Amino acid sequence: MSVAASGRPSSESLAEIVDRILDKGLVVDVWARVSVVGIEILTVEARIVVASVDTFLHYAKNISTLEIASQSGDLEDLQNLEFGSSPMVQPAPDVPDHRIGEAESEAEEQEAEAQ
Amino acid sequence: MTVIMADEHLYTYGVIDGADRELAVDGVAGATRLYTVEYRTLSAVVSDIDTLEPEQTDENLRAHDEALQTIMSDEDIEAVVPMRFGMVFKSARPLKNVLRGSRSVLTRTLNDIEGTVEMGLKLVAEEGVTVDRESVREDVSGRLRGVSVEETENGLFSDRLVLNRSYLVERDDREAFDAAIAGIEDEYGGSLITQYTGPWAPYNFVDLEIGVDR
Repeated sequence: MSVAASGRPSSESLAEIVDRILDKGLVVDVWARVSVVGIEILTVEARIVVASVDTFLHYAKNISTLEIASQSGDLEDLQNLEFGSSPMVQPAPDVPDHRIGEAESEAEEQEAEAQ
Repeated sequence: MTVIMADEHLYTYGVIDGADRELAVDGVAGATRLYTVEYRTLSAVVSDIDTLEPEQTDENLRAHDEALQTIMSDEDIEAVVPMRFGMVFKSARPLKNVLRGSRSVLTRTLNDIEGTVEMGLKLVAEEGVTVDRESVREDVSGRLRGVSVEETENGLFSDRLVLNRSYLVERDDREAFDAAIAGIEDEYGGSLITQYTGPWAPYNFVDLEIGVDR
């Protein structure tokens, strides 16, 4: 594991791999992974902790929720829903979970149209 | 409307920008082929798997990491949001649904990490050696600040561990970063063991959870 004189890294040990791939990275709730269209209303909730210079800690607790109507059974036809928040302007470590109103109403509208 | 049911589930490794791709790489659970499932500009890199709960064997853990290494070494892929181990989707349908629902945040994350890699640095005190931890930590921060985008502190799980950090480094700055690490090793070679690893997918700089409100 010791670094070579050139400063180039050694190959990864299993411990280093485990530290990352079992504890870090994108997590998707099992229900979102197995839900098939037409069975239930699917809600995709994203917790945003994107590291960017100087902003990592600031939005460590910034949580956005986006609801997606899937009852119509034809999600492909629904327009993509965009998050309304930007982490660059939300330095709010203690702000509780919040929902993005526009996204929700947009989803509802689309659901209504689809029906 | 016809719903096509896939016979196989999909093991996911990460999310990249666009482009249909196929990689002849060994994957988790004996897979021999990686390919992409796309939703508009996003692609999830996947392989077929017959279980929703792959075992955490050494072989599978390494396969997950190696697949990501291969993705990162592709010059056409500027960024990858790495998945945690074990993210199996029942079929392409829920996967596309998740990509669609989180498209905005995934796209923004990919933009943030574009062209970067994660490098790991641990400094471990040699047996019986006492070092001024604070001055070492400050000195290292100073040496690496100019050649990295961001640093994160990881746990000091051992008394001998003086420093345990991950650095987000521009690919173009890798040589300079390597040189700075070599400088650190020269400076502290007698008292500290340098453990330098990477490049990794930016695991310590991407923390996303997508759930279902039931």
